[in-house]
Amino acid sequence: MLWYKAWLETRWRFLIGLAILMASACGTVFIYPQVQRLIPLAPSVDAGGELGRRVQEAVQLSREYRGYVWSQWFRQNLIQMWTVFAALLGAGGLLSQSSGGAVLYTLSMPASRTRLLGVRAAAGLVELVALAVVPSLLIPLLSPAVGDSYSVVDALAHSACLFLGGAVFFGLAVLLSTVFADIWRPLLIALAAAAVIAIGEQFVRDVSPVGLFRLMNGETYFRTRHLPWTGLLVTTAATTALLYGAASSIARRDF
Amino acid sequence: MADQLVVDVAGLRKHYGSIEAVRGLDLQVPRGSIYGLLGRNGAGKTTTIKVLLGMARPTAGSAHVFGLAADAPDASVEIRRRTGFVSEDKELYDYMTVAEIVRFTAAFYPRWRRDLEERYLRAFELPAAMKVKALSRGTRTKLALLLALCRGAELLVLDEPTAGLDPAVTEQVLQALVGHVARDETTIFFSSHQIAEVEQIADRIAIVDRGRAVLAGALDELRESFRRVQLVFDREAPHAVFRAAGVARVRRQGRVLTESSTGGAEPILEEARALGPVSVDVGPVTLKEIFLETVATED
Repeated sequence: MLWYKAWLETRWRFLIGLAILMASACGTVFIYPQVQRLIPLAPSVDAGGELGRRVQEAVQLSREYRGYVWSQWFRQNLIQMWTVFAALLGAGGLLSQSSGGAVLYTLSMPASRTRLLGVRAAAGLVELVALAVVPSLLIPLLSPAVGDSYSVVDALAHSACLFLGGAVFFGLAVLLSTVFADIWRPLLIALAAAAVIAIGEQFVRDVSPVGLFRLMNGETYFRTRHLPWTGLLVTTAATTALLYGAASSIARRDF
Repeated sequence: MADQLVVDVAGLRKHYGSIEAVRGLDLQVPRGSIYGLLGRNGAGKTTTIKVLLGMARPTAGSAHVFGLAADAPDASVEIRRRTGFVSEDKELYDYMTVAEIVRFTAAFYPRWRRDLEERYLRAFELPAAMKVKALSRGTRTKLALLLALCRGAELLVLDEPTAGLDPAVTEQVLQALVGHVARDETTIFFSSHQIAEVEQIADRIAIVDRGRAVLAGALDELRESFRRVQLVFDREAPHAVFRAAGVARVRRQGRVLTESSTGGAEPILEEARALGPVSVDVGPVTLKEIFLETVATED
């Protein structure tokens, strides 16, 4: 029943996230014919510096459908929105119930605090898997409608990179939720951390090859068709450590 | 004796930073009793309950429930498996319906009492399909009580169970508790600052003030042992110092000297008569008077 409770508490965040991401996936696919028509105009775009390089790179990638999907969906739309929902699903939980008082009712149940937090975190992780996989699987499903195809294996591989890499932000929000009694501070701090990392990767080129967002967008897989196992193991370990820290924090807390 | 104690608290201390919520509390709740923890707001009642249920860890001292240490995580889960609880604010999951929260809670308790669930749903007129957030405070309290009573618990821990309720609902809740104890072998440990309700249902009490139990025992024995001796003089009442054991408090007001005591009356009466009053009146005291005298003495 703790699973049921976790579902009731997070279902709207999850369902709204799922709807937005699915709509975005549909848009990504159905806009491709227009993108193809615009590609011949791209050489006339004359923007210098980092922005120009990025525009040209996007144009080059978009000349073929696989490159377009990775550039537009896995590297931009999905990763940005998914990160927001990862932080949103991690925020809240046992401590945030204290503002409404129901935390004492939960704590009166014959369940350890580790179990209470563990079920809530596990439910959030399952929802995050769904948010990564379901919209991404729409891409191979809908691609024939625009006369292209996309590999299911590629969609799953990129989803795996996104989930295993980005779960760090979920873990951070869960940990912060054992410190702050509201939902907003964990959410905002986790998003601020994501923004700092993303900006850092954009401007510090030495960081970029081992960057978290590069790992999440599956660039290694896109270019080499090999999963970045080392990076995924490191982020999985980091997420585990954050969740362990959250469990320790909640176990020590007085209510 | 120890295995007859459902709750055994010794020298319990709980600090929140620089605030001492509980300061060396001793408490023994025998099996089968209705035990009232009486005290002013901020006396440490809720903190004590939180320690018993593993929601807060003691700073010092010990708290055992069913002989299990309340601050040991695994033991605490077992304690909560055998205990029903109603919190002071009666907050439940607003997003669930009455039926959902009953089903949710029942899943944790193998000894959940379906018969009582049906009985109390009817008796309390709880609307199964209504969201908890739509319930009035009184109805929410009755739901919280149902969720505690149906657990098949050996111990009910109730924190200010009737706080904020109108007299009719208060009476309904108290009758439900008394009826439950009469039918099932349950111990009730409840906190309150409502003296009348404690007096109505408790058979044992502890008066807690500033984190310590200043008086504890069977309610009837306390009433028996407490005496009020009133001396009326034909002049201003003298500043008397009583040496007899058990004198709790002496008050002077004009020609009247009132003395409250817990000891035997004779030694006190001997001292009283030596003061030369025109009349001496010995009478019983109410729980309210015991409470006020005890707490005032602490002041």
